[in-house]
Amino acid sequence: MTSDSSSSPSSSDTEFADPNPSTDPGTNSERVQSQLESMNLSEPSEVSDGSHTDYGGGDDDDDAPAEVALSNANEGGFTNGRVVREDLAETSGEEGREASLRAEHPVEMEAGEEPPSPTSSGYDGERGSSGGATSTYKADDASEDEIREANGDGDTASQHEAAWLPGKRHVHEDDASISWRKRKKHFFILSNSGKPIYSRYGDEHKLAGFSATLQAIISFVENGGDRVNLVKAGKHQVVFLVKGPIYLVCISCTDETYDYLRGQLDLLYGQMILILTKSIDRCFEKNAKFDMSPLLGGTDAVFSSLVHSFSWNPATFLHAYTCLPIQYALRQAAGTILQEVCASGVLFSLLMCRHKVISLAGAQKASLHPDDLLLLSNFVMSSESFRTSESFSPICLPRYNPQAFLHAYVHFFDDDTYVMLLTTRSEAFYHLKDCRIRIEAVLLKSNILSMVQRSIAEGGMRVEDLPIDRRLRQKASSTNNQGQDTGGPDRLRDISVGTGGPFGLWHFIYRSIYLDQYISSEFSLPVTSHRQQKSLYRAYQKLYASMHDKGLGPHKTQYRRDENYTLLCWVTPDFELYAAFDPLADKAMAIKMCNQVCQRVKDLENEVFLQGASPFSW
Amino acid sequence: MVMASMSSGSESFRLCVFDLRRGQNEGQELDKILFFYPPDLTFSTQLSVIGLSEGLITFTRLFSPEAACEVIEAERHSHVFYEAESDIWMVMVVEKNKEIEAIWRVDALRRMLKEVHSLFVMFHGSIRALLEKEQTGGLIRSHLYPFITDYLNDLFVGKKLQLPSFRETLKERGTVQMLTLARDAALEVQSLVGVLDSCVGIVRCHSVILFHDLLVSTTLSPDDTVDLFTFSVMRLTTNAQSSGMSSWSYLRKGSTLSQITSRSTSAQLLGSTDPLPSGNGNNAARVIRPLQHEKWSKGKVGFLVTDIWGKDATPTIWLQQTQERVYLLTYQYKSLTLVLLVPTPAIVNGELDISFVKHQVIENASAKILKVEEKLSKGWGGENAYHVSGYRYLLVDNDMEISRASPPGKVATLAKESLLALNQLREEVDSEKSRTKVERDMEISIRAKNNAWVIARITRGKELYMALEKASETLLDATDSVQRFSNRYCSGSFSMD
Repeated sequence: MTSDSSSSPSSSDTEFADPNPSTDPGTNSERVQSQLESMNLSEPSEVSDGSHTDYGGGDDDDDAPAEVALSNANEGGFTNGRVVREDLAETSGEEGREASLRAEHPVEMEAGEEPPSPTSSGYDGERGSSGGATSTYKADDASEDEIREANGDGDTASQHEAAWLPGKRHVHEDDASISWRKRKKHFFILSNSGKPIYSRYGDEHKLAGFSATLQAIISFVENGGDRVNLVKAGKHQVVFLVKGPIYLVCISCTDETYDYLRGQLDLLYGQMILILTKSIDRCFEKNAKFDMSPLLGGTDAVFSSLVHSFSWNPATFLHAYTCLPIQYALRQAAGTILQEVCASGVLFSLLMCRHKVISLAGAQKASLHPDDLLLLSNFVMSSESFRTSESFSPICLPRYNPQAFLHAYVHFFDDDTYVMLLTTRSEAFYHLKDCRIRIEAVLLKSNILSMVQRSIAEGGMRVEDLPIDRRLRQKASSTNNQGQDTGGPDRLRDISVGTGGPFGLWHFIYRSIYLDQYISSEFSLPVTSHRQQKSLYRAYQKLYASMHDKGLGPHKTQYRRDENYTLLCWVTPDFELYAAFDPLADKAMAIKMCNQVCQRVKDLENEVFLQGASPFSW
Repeated sequence: MVMASMSSGSESFRLCVFDLRRGQNEGQELDKILFFYPPDLTFSTQLSVIGLSEGLITFTRLFSPEAACEVIEAERHSHVFYEAESDIWMVMVVEKNKEIEAIWRVDALRRMLKEVHSLFVMFHGSIRALLEKEQTGGLIRSHLYPFITDYLNDLFVGKKLQLPSFRETLKERGTVQMLTLARDAALEVQSLVGVLDSCVGIVRCHSVILFHDLLVSTTLSPDDTVDLFTFSVMRLTTNAQSSGMSSWSYLRKGSTLSQITSRSTSAQLLGSTDPLPSGNGNNAARVIRPLQHEKWSKGKVGFLVTDIWGKDATPTIWLQQTQERVYLLTYQYKSLTLVLLVPTPAIVNGELDISFVKHQVIENASAKILKVEEKLSKGWGGENAYHVSGYRYLLVDNDMEISRASPPGKVATLAKESLLALNQLREEVDSEKSRTKVERDMEISIRAKNNAWVIARITRGKELYMALEKASETLLDATDSVQRFSNRYCSGSFSMD
């Protein structure tokens, strides 16, 4: 029942004629808009004259000649030729100039600041060229990156592990590609006029039509005096976040909670603010059709690395940071010199190892939010240019002050360990360089850098190493839960073999509320592959979301068991514990093990946590 | 009972039915709309609700062709979707408002849509069939308007529409509540069913027997049983008959419905202010309103009579499983309600044959009915028969579409925090279930802020939800409590240790 679309003068006629929208891959996104638009009538009489309500930029598509839609439909795809051309034109137009100006003078967007020091690498375009060096974590986004199996759960589709590479993939795709539609998790950033700013997969320019559709949905609901947060369809969730003139959308079938997906959009927005500051809002005030994508040119690796971290870094949902385990005295020594540096007019000084903190200090009353720390370390770790030389770059800490740029001096001592010094003064490069030299001297003198390497090699806490209470041991042989028939000294080792820690403990995360820090055990058997680790993190995320329901406040305890895990969560005013056990673990023993873990963490807190850092209050 | 209530007519509640296959051309969009509540909203508002729904159905199919839009969660409203028949969608828009306790589970709301559609099909056949019968849509509209409006009237208390809120979290719409029978009573019932089966001779009659608002026996498929049970509890049982009596079934809310009934009859049915697009109003044919209130009464010989289907006309309904139309005869003795379903082919001479069947029932079954009633009354524990001290629970068997729950009066003693926590837990379980589709085993125990334990256990198509408010209990105590409950009342189904 296809109508004669070729002779139809209006594209919406063409689309409405198709009674079976799901089988038509071509014109759907246009259809949605037409449906939204044609329905938004002020009076019934308007139906007949076919007038459309203006949605700002989103209605660009309306005037698209039917032939365009038709020819694209024939290819099995839809792109709005006109929008693409416009975008290209604008890139070389006024906004394009704005962008190139900004590339040369990165401080242009901040108020009343002087240009950076001559040695600044700033936004010199190197940022996009980050290579494999950041991918020290062996990883794969395989299940997300892969196309889902047509009729099944992609999680079982592939067991292989590929090294995760930063940067954008599948750039050739757009919303007409079946492969693109089957990606498990999309992220989009667009402007409120519907211009694409970022898409995790596919070329932003080719996604202009799709972007306009997202914008139309958001503004349609907004025009009704409401704000759309979530759309659910089968396994898919479409999550919306509106931040002034910036719209963020996630389309996912990854079985993550709405709260966490929204949190991810929030972090994505934060990452963008970290690069550009919130003063981009002003550009949209001046020009609603402002094209901001050139400003983010070359930052694909930063965003892809952040998106990747959503599936391996607990900091993204715990909103806490983690420290590299190191001897208390060494951490103190590092802390002392960082504190001294702060006293000389530096706002924040941080000594980091990859995404973990070795020590940090802040100027009086200045506190750093864990989310800012996450975004900052992601930015530095994913940008290759920071590794090649000392750098001085404008950055914004969205939680600290989203309106203004700070200046970050970054220097890598080796592949993993680096110092970040943040200041409000754009001319402070040489001062910060001096500070770094002082810090480096202390690090060398106290041998901290080699101790850091040793700590990396040794890893963090392991569930296998947990000391087991003698009473538990006796209880274990009496409950005989693990199917062992004899007790004796070898028994405990037997329990551990193949099942991680004692009594089926596989993994735990302990979060100290006051310190805003967490410690996560190393992954043990049987949670060894990245896929299993990711699946465990997803289970933790759900547990976290369930415990921290917004309306009800935190619950106290939760026990959850399914075919994959036994999970226990314990929330107190001081700490939160998340522990994963074998699904067949004995409940009573699991509870006792949780107590043991908490005790063990308290015993080691001087080594695993940064103590006495300036209290983080916000 | 306290429920989320919202005033009608305002923005707070909207319900629409539309057909995606209709009104595809510009200027004909109104053609899509088959039903809209409240009916006095402007067409542009109606079209904007449907336009958003349709837009998102199309949009979500891009990524999820197999399951289109199920819910839109906005800051102020939830839009709940249900594809009742292929391309025929029902969408309910409800306003969120914490102050009036408008907190619910989306699945509970969707079950309302499913319920009203199932009932509609039982009486009138499918929406698509009516659309095909009369292409302008006038016929289906003239049926849907009174039907859904009558259904919604049940939810009105005064001028407020009351939707299933978190306070009803220990209830499951679309399931049957059974009476537990002692062995001797079960044998009597069995024997009675045998007699009813054969009261028209060789053609087998289906029957459904209720005692108070609980199901005693059925010979129908689970789906048909749910529909007929739902209708019986709404209109036929003794409790439904005695209007004004406080109900303990979620199927009957308030007892005040006069105001809306009169409004719906005058404004929407008689066509004086027909809100439908012109050309569609087909008011010539008399529309039957099976859910009309206070239309059933007990006749002389114990059979319920009504003039809904016309004077002296016997109602017919449509059975899903056998795809046949059957006459619906309802016999009532004290608290016992017998619904007898006589296949239409067995009735050749209309009401004459019906009278004969009635006569047969009285002749052959009277003694057994008396006996069954006596046995059931003797064993009847009253409203709180299924209360288990110390527990507030809901037990659902999805395969059989059966549920049992703590009596509402007892559930009402739970703290609001406990109910909210349980409601949230159920929402989580709902989303797990809808994600995986396959049955899985799951156990979740949460100690809420107020120290109450809220517990969910899912195993082999059975679900158990529970709230325990003894503050001193540890996780192990709570587990033991569930274990004891499972052993005693669920034949150990939920024993996971």
